[in-house]
Amino acid sequence: MSGRAALAAGAAVLVVLLFAPLLAPLVKLDISIVSEVLLMAIAAMGVNLLLGYTGLPAFGNAAYFGLGSYGAALSVTYAHVGFAGAVAIGTVAGLLGGLVLGPFLLRRRGIYFGLLSIAFGQVFYFVAYRYTDVTGGEDGMNIVRPAVEGAHAVVSDSAFYYVAFAAFVVCLAAFRTVVGSPFGRTLVGIRQNEPRVRYLGLNSDRFIFVALLLAATMTGLAGALFGLLIDFAYPLELDWHQSGDFVLMMILGGGGTVWGPLLGACVYVIGKDIISTITPLWQIFLGALFVACVLGFPRGILGTLEAAVRRRDAGRFTDDDVNAAFDPNAPVEVGRGA
Amino acid sequence: MRDAGAVLLEATGVSKGFGGVRAVDDVSLAVREGTIHALIGPNGAGKTTFFNAISGYAFPDRGRVTFRGADVTRVPNWRRVAVGMGRTFQTPSVFPELSVEENVRLGVRAHAGQAFRLRASRGEAHAAVERRVDELLGFVNLTARRTRPLAELAHGSQRLCEIAMSLSTEPVMVLLDEPMAGLAEAESERIITVIRDLRERLGLTVLFVEHNMRVVLSLADRITVLDRGRVLAEGTPAEIAANRAVRDAYLGEGVLDHV
Repeated sequence: MSGRAALAAGAAVLVVLLFAPLLAPLVKLDISIVSEVLLMAIAAMGVNLLLGYTGLPAFGNAAYFGLGSYGAALSVTYAHVGFAGAVAIGTVAGLLGGLVLGPFLLRRRGIYFGLLSIAFGQVFYFVAYRYTDVTGGEDGMNIVRPAVEGAHAVVSDSAFYYVAFAAFVVCLAAFRTVVGSPFGRTLVGIRQNEPRVRYLGLNSDRFIFVALLLAATMTGLAGALFGLLIDFAYPLELDWHQSGDFVLMMILGGGGTVWGPLLGACVYVIGKDIISTITPLWQIFLGALFVACVLGFPRGILGTLEAAVRRRDAGRFTDDDVNAAFDPNAPVEVGRGA
Repeated sequence: MRDAGAVLLEATGVSKGFGGVRAVDDVSLAVREGTIHALIGPNGAGKTTFFNAISGYAFPDRGRVTFRGADVTRVPNWRRVAVGMGRTFQTPSVFPELSVEENVRLGVRAHAGQAFRLRASRGEAHAAVERRVDELLGFVNLTARRTRPLAELAHGSQRLCEIAMSLSTEPVMVLLDEPMAGLAEAESERIITVIRDLRERLGLTVLFVEHNMRVVLSLADRITVLDRGRVLAEGTPAEIAANRAVRDAYLGEGVLDHV
């Protein structure tokens, strides 16, 4: 996709989202479902930054998500903070989770990073599950959705949508900036070849740590808002199944792309909503979709589209090719042909 | 043939083992400034293990490595680069999905202290980075292929790009691990020219591992021969070619008759 076409498509998506409270009823969609899509998209972006761009198997991001939810729930229940305060505390809880786990995760790469991420997530899960007096244990805890500080009206579902929308736009803008920056290109370098990054004189650990903190903060924000959306925090939000769902959304949409997480979250959340009204076996269908995705188009929906466009563009000759063909000093290409 | 400069890199009694096997056993070696120094030896002699030990890829079990007079034995690899050591790998270590120029640009930005930024540089800083990228691409003659992803290029071009990347950090010395491995004749010739240029045009010190005896004898000022993890001999190409122990242990007589 050329830069301009991609920009236009992105703008169109944002316009549709802006008017979603008016459009959703036309397709019999509850606006809360659209809010959920946006929050899941933020969490999937967190996985995307770590897995899609940096190549780290982030299989435990539910830890930050659940910390966000419980951060909001506990602060509302015990400290009676307002709406904005709950969101802020949940987000900071995610960031703190990253600060605490980061130094341990940093020492691991590949599958060990993934396993340790899962293990840490499960630790939080069991704390929430067992510490019944504070967290309500298995039953979770209700969140009485608080009013915004200074106002008296409780945030309605459509007003909530715009909060989620604003959070999504902020995260998307931050994400775009990060992955397009020299910092983001270095993350891609780490994914493709970490030893080379280090032999370029860069301490890759430092880059990974910052990426981890960014992801944890975004995921914490998503978790806090999700808790406030469903007025509830429960241990399964911290569970590795939840982490798996985030990974699934990223893979469905297309890892390593800016808009993939939104697309994946959309397919996942709305697909689940529709199929689960038809059959309680909805997970079978999502599982089948996932298998089809990994086998048929591992780059995800958006990644496959982008690759197709690139192939089309690659069919054309460029001046470079012509110059290379006549360059007498050019190194001889063997095998694959220039 | 040169042998004048001060010692730039010195390994003293370096050992490295894996399990019960001592892959490198008490190896000492000194590379003098401005020389092209070759490390040769049969398969399994410990050349790459030794290379990894002195370049900080895997620290040695015992021994000491000094670089520009400072002890770097346990200095992490990324910090060694900052003090002027560059290296390449047996299999070109590049970013396969990025274009040639992006590969080099990552290194140039890293050296300019821009890799951690959230904003691409502008104005003069940007122009300086791009000038340096152009210069490095010109040095290894990859300018015409600059927009191609590395994965689409032949092995030899990938290796040239890797050399350009290792130069992007402005090293005083480069360590090349089998730069000619797996290359066709014509590609090898390009690499040989580039290695000569590293010293002649850029004034760098080079330490390289190589199998091809003809290349080593024509290119190197000094040669160290490793066998079964130990130093078998060290000297000028003529001395190595005449060394009976080297002839007996490693080289076919025929190889050296041409020299």
